[in-house]
Amino acid sequence: MKAFVHLLVCALTTTLMLSGGPLRADEATPTFKHRVTGLFSPDREQDLRSVLEQLPGITLQSLDYAHAEAVFQYDPAVVFKGTKPEDIVKRFDEKIRTASSSTFGIQSLYPAPHDKLQPVEIAVVGLDCKACSLAAYEAVAKIEGVAQATASFREGKVTALIDPARTNQAALEEALKKKQVSLPSTSKP
Amino acid sequence: MRSNLPLCLLAGIILPASLPAAAPAPLGAFLESHCHECHDADVRKGDLDLTALAMDFNHPETFARWVKVFDRVQSGEMPPAKKARPPQQEMEGAQHWLREQLLTADRTRLQNLSRTGVRRLTRSEYENTVRDLFDMPGIALAGELPADGSAHGFDKNSDALDISHVNLAKYLEAADHTLDLAIATRPEPPTVQKRRISLANRGGFVAHIIMNGDGVLLKDKKPDPDFPPAGEQAHLDQGAHERMGSFTNGSSVGLFRHEDESVSPYFMEHVTIYPGLYRLRTSLWSFQWDKGVVLPAPGTGAARLSVVQLTGDGRGGQHPSYVLGYYDAPSMDSQVHELTTWLNHNEIIGFNPASLAPVAIYSRKGRAMAFTGPGIAVDWLEVEGPIHSQWPPAAHQVLFDNLPLTEWLPAEHDGQRAPARKKIRQIGAGMNRPDADKGLWTVSSKNPLRDADRLLARFLPKAFRRPVEPEVCQEYLARVEARLQAGDSFEAAMRYAYQAALCSPDFVYLLEPPGPLDDFAIASRLSYFLWNSRPDERLQELASKGQLRRPEVLREEVERLIQSPRFQRFVEDFTGQWLKLRSIAANDPDKKLYPEFSTYLQDSMVGETRSYFHELIKSNLDAGHLVKSDFAMLNQKLATHYGIPGVTGTQMRKVPLPADCPRGGFLTQAAILKITANGTTTSPVPRGAFVMARLMGQPPDPPPPNTPAVEPDVRGASTIREQLDKHRHDSSCASCHARIDPPGFALEAFDVIGGFRSRYRSIVEGDNAPRGGIDPLIGISFKLGPAVDASGQLPDGRKFQDIREFQSLLASQKELLLRNLAQQLAIYATGRDVAFSDRPALEQIVQRTQNQGGGLRTLLHELVQSPLFQIR
Repeated sequence: MKAFVHLLVCALTTTLMLSGGPLRADEATPTFKHRVTGLFSPDREQDLRSVLEQLPGITLQSLDYAHAEAVFQYDPAVVFKGTKPEDIVKRFDEKIRTASSSTFGIQSLYPAPHDKLQPVEIAVVGLDCKACSLAAYEAVAKIEGVAQATASFREGKVTALIDPARTNQAALEEALKKKQVSLPSTSKP
Repeated sequence: MRSNLPLCLLAGIILPASLPAAAPAPLGAFLESHCHECHDADVRKGDLDLTALAMDFNHPETFARWVKVFDRVQSGEMPPAKKARPPQQEMEGAQHWLREQLLTADRTRLQNLSRTGVRRLTRSEYENTVRDLFDMPGIALAGELPADGSAHGFDKNSDALDISHVNLAKYLEAADHTLDLAIATRPEPPTVQKRRISLANRGGFVAHIIMNGDGVLLKDKKPDPDFPPAGEQAHLDQGAHERMGSFTNGSSVGLFRHEDESVSPYFMEHVTIYPGLYRLRTSLWSFQWDKGVVLPAPGTGAARLSVVQLTGDGRGGQHPSYVLGYYDAPSMDSQVHELTTWLNHNEIIGFNPASLAPVAIYSRKGRAMAFTGPGIAVDWLEVEGPIHSQWPPAAHQVLFDNLPLTEWLPAEHDGQRAPARKKIRQIGAGMNRPDADKGLWTVSSKNPLRDADRLLARFLPKAFRRPVEPEVCQEYLARVEARLQAGDSFEAAMRYAYQAALCSPDFVYLLEPPGPLDDFAIASRLSYFLWNSRPDERLQELASKGQLRRPEVLREEVERLIQSPRFQRFVEDFTGQWLKLRSIAANDPDKKLYPEFSTYLQDSMVGETRSYFHELIKSNLDAGHLVKSDFAMLNQKLATHYGIPGVTGTQMRKVPLPADCPRGGFLTQAAILKITANGTTTSPVPRGAFVMARLMGQPPDPPPPNTPAVEPDVRGASTIREQLDKHRHDSSCASCHARIDPPGFALEAFDVIGGFRSRYRSIVEGDNAPRGGIDPLIGISFKLGPAVDASGQLPDGRKFQDIREFQSLLASQKELLLRNLAQQLAIYATGRDVAFSDRPALEQIVQRTQNQGGGLRTLLHELVQSPLFQIR
């Protein structure tokens, strides 16, 4: 019975989000789906949860790591009191940046549908260092047309979902080189 | 008539020189028999014609020449050894007659003069005086005052201490700064902040270099798993690492590179806001790094803490303002060091892993993962302060006693200007923060003029170091009254008077009565001699009771001053000038010839000479120890440099020297050997001149005009001795060089950084050099050239084969060494030169010292007890 209710809530949430409006798990606290920057590796989910502990009134309901999208539950009237609805994402971004030393951010959902995005994988060489991975991630994530990205020097790759109409793999490789990331000559197209 | 006048004038000018008064018996006969053969108008050996030297002792230049004649005869140098010795009676008679003539002339010249001129404080005296008067032991003032001149070897001489409008302007600024720090402007002390900070600060340069392999982050004495050492790839993007907390996760910082032109590590997260005392604690250890693995270090490492004044934009002052000390970093064992020091506004703490070799891994292939070598780790630095034992602080109470601090409310001060406050400005990356503004607080008085009178009567004698006449106090009080009437607050009006006092001649000058000094003048002379600062309360109390001129009291006080930590100021100031330690950094040794040189070695050199001088006084050792001893004051760095095993750590300590060791005494100390060299080569001439002037009290004459310098050959084709030989065989040079060169030849056994050598280093020619004690990480490109010949012959004919034999010869002349030191101390203590007529008093000091064993502490006592010291 409990599992059924959960499934029902999830289905309802997804349906409402696709329509672009706020989701209401219950009447008291609505949920919202946003794009999260800084999710460059799976273990960043735990980092995100730790950061959110510093933001009272906001909880993480679910996380789609593959698309860097998350559903948050908060009451805008309480957490972002006095903020115009169109500025809430911006205010949320400021809050989470402050709490995470600018390693996480909040953005509106990427405008293109998931099936229009193209995956890219670039082989990279570097130190097995989380902060170095953040640096490589940020080099590509900030490029216009990049909807989602990951970076792992342990695995030796940077991946991205790109909007082919707005960017391409060469642009990502150029950004990585500019960041002093070493690229072996075997990057996959 | 027209043509005769100029001739008459010319005759008048040349008459004394061409027609000298005949030397009366017994000098005349002596000169005729033993001197004129070489020093007449025809031969003029050494450019001296005694037949033309007038017996006019009132003429300064002629007087000086006769003194030189007297000294050469008395020392036995003249007549020369190769000539027949004059009969003893004849010699003594001539000397006695000349001595009496010179004494009489000199006494006549000086009888109506105050021997020590009125002189101002040197800038170090000024700074120390303010520090002690206000109990602000680290306020920095000297660096902002104009440099002092020097006369007769020291800066305390009135001949050198002129004063200009620049001095006056700087005194005003110094007084203003002093009062800014001294006057309490808040109801309670600034909050004591205690913070443990990392060397790898946010935005700091250390983080940058460890991201590129010049260091590593360490946890539990192993590489930090979250921050792998830089290898083929360096870490990316310092900002990303800072945001991820790489440098704030409690890791220790291990460095492989010491401070150099490009790297100046600081602990940037404390930038001093409130000047005052701060407690510093730091945890240090050393390790051996082997391509990613932390291993025990081969020995104890050393790290230096220093104070760095941030520049206006907060980016750092690059080089340390002053060194706090060198501290041990034991192998794999964190050692906590603690010190309490004064920090001024915008000062931060600098760090140098001093014992490391000059390596830069930053741009090497493989970086840290390809490097094997030593590292110094700093776990943290803890800064706690400002620490105030009382509030208002002692400095404030010197000015305002126990008057209350109250909030300035404009409504209560109609028509008065509020006291001015300087805004506290924080620069740099400090995590410490200023306290919240508590409003405008100031000292208050219900009866301003009565309090002003009381406070000035209390302050002025302390500041002026003697009782102050009521009319002087009234002058200052009148200034306060005028300022109050003009609308100043009580604090501002008093501040005006205090600033005037701190710039007044009574404060800035050492004022002494003519003739025998009174008790207060003795207190000041004694204190500025042995503490380089103002007399403390006890000295002033003894002076006010009229007890200070009693020999037994004076003896007790000299002992007390010597035992005080403030005596170190004398040690540093006196050796800085007598032995020229202030010039230690005048040149940087050639990096190809002397790659092992480092600032740690240089600081250790200075530390050795200061410690040794202090030890001679503390243990009351005799003057022979100035040039020879069976011990040295060493730390690990210097002991390694000298090839003496078994010394570990940074601190100077007394080390017995092996029997065959060529060290011992000032002559063989690296500081002296560096100061007397030019950074590339050594020459016996400046070194010999240094020994003669500074240790033997026989400064050589300056070289004749247009004498070319001897340029040593660094290619290694010829030795300096070979080059000098040509010079020495020139008859016009020979007589002086016979005296100057022998000490310099003996010191040829040491290179420009004080290393012992049997062969000269060269850049081009010679054999490959063995590494010896040089750090394996230091590249060697120099060669070994010709062999060193450190033998020589003294002017009196005594020969030596090496430095040890020379030391023994010189050490046997204890009286000569003691007399010279007595003279140097007398010049330093009295602020004037020692005249010919002072010689009997000086001789009495020497003889009394020798009668008590010849110890140097005894010498200090005898000097203070002498008329030389106690009469202006």
